[in-house]
Amino acid sequence: MANFFPRWSNWLPLKILIILLTIVTGVTAATWYYVTPKYTRVGYAPIQPVLFPHSLHVSQLGMDCRYCHSFVDVAAHSNLPNTQTCMACHTQVQANSPKLEPVRASWKTGMPIEWVQIHRTPDYVYYNHAAHVNRGISCASCHGKVNEMDVVYHAKPHSMAWCLECHRAPENHLRPVDQVYNLNWEPKDVNPAEFVAQYGQPADAQGEDWSKKQKLTQQEIGRTLKERWNVQPPLNCQGCHR
Amino acid sequence: MKRILEHPPQPATGRRYWRSVNELSDTPEFRGWLEREFPSGAAQLTGDEWSRRGFLKLMGASVALAGFGLTSCRRPEAHLLPFSKSVEWAIPGKPLYYATAMPRRTGALPLVVSTVDGRPIKVEGNPLHPASGGGTDAYAQASILDLYDPARSKRFIEKVEKKDEHKRKSSGPPAAKNSSRWVGETRDAAAFQKYLEQLRPQLAADGGAGLAFLVEETLSPTRDRLRRELERVYPRMRWCRYEPLLSDAQNYSSEMTFGANSKLVPRFDRADVVLALDSDFLDPNEGDVASVRAFSARRRVTSAKDTMNRLYVVENHYTLTGGMADHRLRIPASQVPAFTYALAQKISAATSDAGLGSVIATLTPQQGAMQFDDAWIAECAKDLIAKSGASIVIAGRHQPVIVQLMVYGINSALKNIGTTMLVRDFPLESRPFSILQLAAEINAGRVKQLFILGGDPVYNAPRGLVEDAETKQSLDWADLQKKVPEVVRLGYFEDATSALAKWHVPGAHYLESWGDALTAEGAYLAIQPMILPLFGGVSDVQMLSLLLGRPHGEGPETVQETFQATNPPGDGGSAWAQLLRDGFASHVPLRDKAPAFNGNNAGGIAQTQWTPIPAPTPDSPEIVLVGDYSVDDGRYVNNGWLQEMPDPVTKLTWDNAALISPAYARHLKVSTGDMIEITVTEAGNSAGQPIVRQLRIAAMIAPGHADNSVTIPLGYGRAVGAEGPLPYAGAEGAQQPPSGETTGFNGYYLRTAAHPHFIVADGRTVKSVEVKKVAGSYAFATTQEHWSIEGRGMVREATIERYRTNNEFVTEIAGDDELPSQLPTLYSHPPLNAPQQWGMAVDLNVCTGCSACVMACQAENNIPVVGKLQVSHGRAMHWMRIDRYFADEKDYNQDRGEIPEQPEMVHQPMMCQHCENAPCETVCPVNATVHSEDGLNVMAYNRCIGTRYCANNCPFKVRRFNFFDYNQRPVGKKKIAGPINVYEEYLGPLTKKGAPDLTRLQKNPNVTVRMRGVMEKCTYCVQRIEEAKIAAHVKAGASANTLIPRDSFTSACAQACPMDAIVFGDVRDPESRVSQMKKQDRNYRLLEYLNVNTRTSYLARIRNPNPRMPDAHLVGIASPIAHHAANGANGPHDAEGHDKGVLNPHENH
Repeated sequence: MANFFPRWSNWLPLKILIILLTIVTGVTAATWYYVTPKYTRVGYAPIQPVLFPHSLHVSQLGMDCRYCHSFVDVAAHSNLPNTQTCMACHTQVQANSPKLEPVRASWKTGMPIEWVQIHRTPDYVYYNHAAHVNRGISCASCHGKVNEMDVVYHAKPHSMAWCLECHRAPENHLRPVDQVYNLNWEPKDVNPAEFVAQYGQPADAQGEDWSKKQKLTQQEIGRTLKERWNVQPPLNCQGCHR
Repeated sequence: MKRILEHPPQPATGRRYWRSVNELSDTPEFRGWLEREFPSGAAQLTGDEWSRRGFLKLMGASVALAGFGLTSCRRPEAHLLPFSKSVEWAIPGKPLYYATAMPRRTGALPLVVSTVDGRPIKVEGNPLHPASGGGTDAYAQASILDLYDPARSKRFIEKVEKKDEHKRKSSGPPAAKNSSRWVGETRDAAAFQKYLEQLRPQLAADGGAGLAFLVEETLSPTRDRLRRELERVYPRMRWCRYEPLLSDAQNYSSEMTFGANSKLVPRFDRADVVLALDSDFLDPNEGDVASVRAFSARRRVTSAKDTMNRLYVVENHYTLTGGMADHRLRIPASQVPAFTYALAQKISAATSDAGLGSVIATLTPQQGAMQFDDAWIAECAKDLIAKSGASIVIAGRHQPVIVQLMVYGINSALKNIGTTMLVRDFPLESRPFSILQLAAEINAGRVKQLFILGGDPVYNAPRGLVEDAETKQSLDWADLQKKVPEVVRLGYFEDATSALAKWHVPGAHYLESWGDALTAEGAYLAIQPMILPLFGGVSDVQMLSLLLGRPHGEGPETVQETFQATNPPGDGGSAWAQLLRDGFASHVPLRDKAPAFNGNNAGGIAQTQWTPIPAPTPDSPEIVLVGDYSVDDGRYVNNGWLQEMPDPVTKLTWDNAALISPAYARHLKVSTGDMIEITVTEAGNSAGQPIVRQLRIAAMIAPGHADNSVTIPLGYGRAVGAEGPLPYAGAEGAQQPPSGETTGFNGYYLRTAAHPHFIVADGRTVKSVEVKKVAGSYAFATTQEHWSIEGRGMVREATIERYRTNNEFVTEIAGDDELPSQLPTLYSHPPLNAPQQWGMAVDLNVCTGCSACVMACQAENNIPVVGKLQVSHGRAMHWMRIDRYFADEKDYNQDRGEIPEQPEMVHQPMMCQHCENAPCETVCPVNATVHSEDGLNVMAYNRCIGTRYCANNCPFKVRRFNFFDYNQRPVGKKKIAGPINVYEEYLGPLTKKGAPDLTRLQKNPNVTVRMRGVMEKCTYCVQRIEEAKIAAHVKAGASANTLIPRDSFTSACAQACPMDAIVFGDVRDPESRVSQMKKQDRNYRLLEYLNVNTRTSYLARIRNPNPRMPDAHLVGIASPIAHHAANGANGPHDAEGHDKGVLNPHENH
């Protein structure tokens, strides 16, 4: 009986195996990098036309986020300031600084300043700032401590899994609404007695008197506020995709 | 245990609903539509060259090439551009709402327009004003697309003579002289103003002796004021108003009988009985939204104790009004005068009213007129007389003066004038020149400067307006316009009229200009611009201001002057601000006159107007020319939404057709799609030569149509836009129109001023009317056979008497009780535990099928237009469709293949039913369609991979698949000659990507623009739900009350519905409107026996027939079982059913 398989076919299984392995490794690596939420833009810090140092304006001068991002609590978008807003101060302060030339040029010509977008949601995602900041989610939860940034960078992944982490457990991020724009706020800043007097305690923690505690944890504050404000973040597609 | 659900058997007797002739005769084509969720071949690219295989080869190549380039590995850098200076009121991403109004020929519609970042994107009715009450119609909804029409006129054009070029080309045939000598040069606004500056002294020199205006009707007080001012400056000018679908018969008749400036305003909310004589008053454009609302308010029942109005309709073809009728008599439109006379005689005899008596005293019965069912007229008259003072007899606008006079006389005899028919003082350019008078002036050479404001007279003016003095040829408007040395044309499109004008001026959209208008009842509305004119368009008010030498044209000053002249209360500034805020002026009084019917005057006119019209015969039929539900008189011919909107009655898209009755089709031996040739021979000119007008048009069989009558919707066959008629050679070939063009057939070719509505061979002006079949056929794109569902009690209907005896009839139909008790389920259903649960109720009793909701849905949800070819492949993308069912009383099995002549018509809006046990969800392999806690069946587009399993499994066939990238790429670049048409082929990724910027401006930013390969469907306007939820949360802030206030928002379809037939809201809240609706005993859910638990429910239709009418047994007995039980005792149907051994479903299970 003649050889059914030709001689060269002896190496075929090995060749196939090597090719398969290469493909599988390549696909896995590519998927690892591109497809999973790990591929985010954390750390992205483009050069802006005007080097607006948030650290100077917020931390040193004590400006509120809403001075510039004036519609964050009423609209879906957190707007960038108009040139007019910049010029409200910079006709007096640093009026001739060369760094502010693009602002003055915009004011003169009426052409907008072209800020480079850092945080970008896909077109099919409908994020609403007003719904978050009015219900005790701070800017810092998604954007990091912008008040300490000289150059703003992408601080958090902003992937869907990351969104859902918070939507499943909002107590990890809720804080009193008057502290939403205070990016330096920490749970230890809360006076337990005052807090409990104002918001009470969640039903499942009635056995213990939290007002007697030294400090409240973020969990405790979050659970209280979640129950008190009836916070039920949507976990369904329709919450963000329309 | 495998459970096989059997659909309930067809009832043996009683009414069966069918949606097309093919369905009834059960053709193989229809079975094809029925059994597949998408038509055969829908998944394949069509056309010879682009088979799926070829496409894949090409795709493979392009993917490989794209891989080599390794482009787009990084996200591109994006920029954010804030304003440099703050804009008043503007919050990025938040809509702003402004009140305005849409001018119409019959009365403006008050609107609220939402603008996003300065772009108007959606039109809603103004809920503060009764003329809208929050409702709109299809035209208003679709008008937003006209604003962003890439083909709209964008430039001033002056026609100049090019002598040099002509010399070079002079070897050509002399026939081409006219067209090649004149060239359109693009000019700017300044050049046009300069031209007007030069013109004005010329005009003033002779008092405007050569000046004429031809305008369309806008009911604008400001324009009327400017006209009066112009008349002071140019006392000899002529002011002519022409609207192809607006007849002066009603105005003339009301002025003659009720005094100058009179207009009759019907009050349907006070009428118990309504008789419509060839009047489609329920079409919001023919009547007005206020009348539609008033009628539906009296139509609505909440329980079996309620009363409802009764509607008699006499018409030749099915209209929306005819579909709502309790009793419908189909007679040729030309026989309406004879019918009215017969009715008037009956009423006159019974009431002995002097006024009516004097109207008909001198009239004699017509020779050769049609014989009507005497019992029908007698019982109808009795019913009207019994409801004296609470009835309305209304005649169509196009019916001749004699009909209007008799109808006014009848209303007067019925004591309706002053109660249900108000005589309103309506002082507005009541007696302008008619187009015939203007044509005579032009023909006499007395018109030197003609200003045409709007309209398209070359296209739609009556043919054969005047006779040339020398050649004795009859002249069309195009010939006449050439005789005027200087024609200035203000037009929204560059069209045939522009081509024959010295100047073409781009028109402004009503959303771009200041103005004002009156409603049909005479209330004063303001029109304010949402956006600066996109292409420097000019409004008619601006044009007249320019002619008066006024400096301020663009601003509101001209309108403000008119408004201040009405003496608004308070100081002028705040009154004006209030006007702009509300959209209407409440201080302007509506003055009603004393109802004094001048019978003697009417009688005198009636005597001169009474002309016998012989009944049409099969060999000499009548031709009826009517407006179209989609394109009106042709003004919306370039509006893709309206073109693709299925006609409410014929379900035809992109085309018109000659509608004929089944019997007449048998006589002509034609079926739907066959070409017919209509030849009208007119008596001719003074030289005695007959004039022959011919039109080739495709026929369509329309059940319910009158025999020996052909209805042609007007408005098609108009060429506009960049690829339109410029440069235009003239009106050659007007007698022989091209047939088979994609924009339908131009019925205006047959229309003369003497016969604007119906053409009958009367032996005087028209010698003969011939209709014959000719070779060839035409492919229609109808949606009526798409998405068919066999009769499973989808539509349920009863008479009011039946409803009163058995108010639970809806539950006894179509096997709803076949549902087994709860079975254990394999599937885990998501908990429906949100505090608010969304649902919808549709009241079929008041739905006329007008399709305003379909247009609203399209505007709100970024639904693309797919084109005629795609529609004919069953790929229309409308999330919402209106199913039109015809219902016939005959036994189904016996008349299979025979088309009933006189069926009832019922409309049913159909969209995603949001089943709680949704069959689509269980089959999706990627969880792209899932259920939310608040009861929505949601679609995550970015998850969808396009398997189309969901559409396959949907029992309602409401899911739509993006076969192509309709939003990104034009369907077609290359023209391919098909068997019938030249159509444009889709070249997929080879087509240039990107929609025109202009059309993108309309898109709703809150709704994803879907891409190719994605399934979509009605979302219950999830974006509105989410916006409302977010607003509630923002308002709640640091508190727990996150509930959306009751009925504070609604879906786009419900908001647009002029009849309030659709109600959307929280079904968990027992006090919400939708819960109140669902509590009614007429409420039923579709296909309940499938245990799908739909969230949308329907309220059964109730008809109110007069039991003494001869056709009462044909009316409102839709529900098979109800009908069966009703006639069981005496009906032969019952016996027949049992004889055949077919049991009715109740005895069967």
